[in-house]
Amino acid sequence: MNPLLVYLLLLKANLISFSGLASLPIVHADFVQTYHVLTERQLNTAVAAGRSGPGPAGIYIVSVGYLAAGAPGAVAGYLAVITPAFLVIPLLRLLHGRVSHPRLRSAIRAILLSASGLLLSASIPLGRDSLTGWFAAAVAAGSFALLSFTKVETLWVILAAAAMGAGSAWMSL
Amino acid sequence: MAAVRPSIAALTAIYAKLGNTTFGGGDPTIAALQRELGERRGWLSPEQFALAFSLSRVTPGTNVLAFCAATGYQLCGWMASVSAVLGASAPSAVLAVWLTLGFESAKRNLHTNAAIMAVLAAVTGMMVASAFALARPSLTRQGWPRVLLLSGGTLLLREAWNFSPLQIMAFACAVGALWLEDGAQ
Repeated sequence: MNPLLVYLLLLKANLISFSGLASLPIVHADFVQTYHVLTERQLNTAVAAGRSGPGPAGIYIVSVGYLAAGAPGAVAGYLAVITPAFLVIPLLRLLHGRVSHPRLRSAIRAILLSASGLLLSASIPLGRDSLTGWFAAAVAAGSFALLSFTKVETLWVILAAAAMGAGSAWMSL
Repeated sequence: MAAVRPSIAALTAIYAKLGNTTFGGGDPTIAALQRELGERRGWLSPEQFALAFSLSRVTPGTNVLAFCAATGYQLCGWMASVSAVLGASAPSAVLAVWLTLGFESAKRNLHTNAAIMAVLAAVTGMMVASAFALARPSLTRQGWPRVLLLSGGTLLLREAWNFSPLQIMAFACAVGALWLEDGAQ
């Protein structure tokens, strides 16, 4: 498949969705049903690979591009993922300078508290999947305590958790 | 713009470090960046975070990348915005292709799976810590009713009635504009 077409199709899917996997139905319709360049199984593999690694869920688009057109397709997919992100800058410029208005400042503080609730809500399905036993619960509690009450770097907490996870599998905890 | 301007190289290193090591999607990465850029280093003010967070939700595409573009721009301008997005996503993109190739074998590896599950558990704790950090400055004698309404209300609207984040933030914005917080007058 032509990498330019891959880019345009994936960009379209990204531009009309507002979260990581919301573009999946459009990608499915274009790549599996209309152009027949991907099978259902390949699309599932792309989604699984995107979700298995670090980074945003929407990164599966890169895998879709790769499966559709090889390395140039992966580059096209990556460009389609990052292009819409820069649309935020004009919005930011529009509001910059107006944030000192008391009502706007108060509205922003309210959004901050709402963001706190949204993060809590997003942690629920993640916790449901990952907190499967006492070991995982201890790791989560330790992570919360370290990150809330110390200045330790986030990366060290993540690496320590990975090492403990691999170690626990090795010791068959 | 922030009072303290970090170098673009230092910023890019942070986006690369956290964007490519945090499992579980975009929200954990946003939580990690909020902690690192805001709480630990004091580069990003809570107001800048709130603006970037809310605008990234109304930007099409991947929210976390729009968040990186916005915070990079707020801290150091266009160049930082581009390098933040590239730093936070390019290594993950390469890894996604690599995982596509070797997905089945990686899935069968017990140690890799156990490490990923433990990282996800740590990320769950990190997200709760980040939510706590965002609400903590408002947890005062005068501020707690706002926390209860806005943070608790958001959780309730999302979990009990499945409202979208956009609808909830529009509601929070309206509440904030009508009910001025102490000191905003």
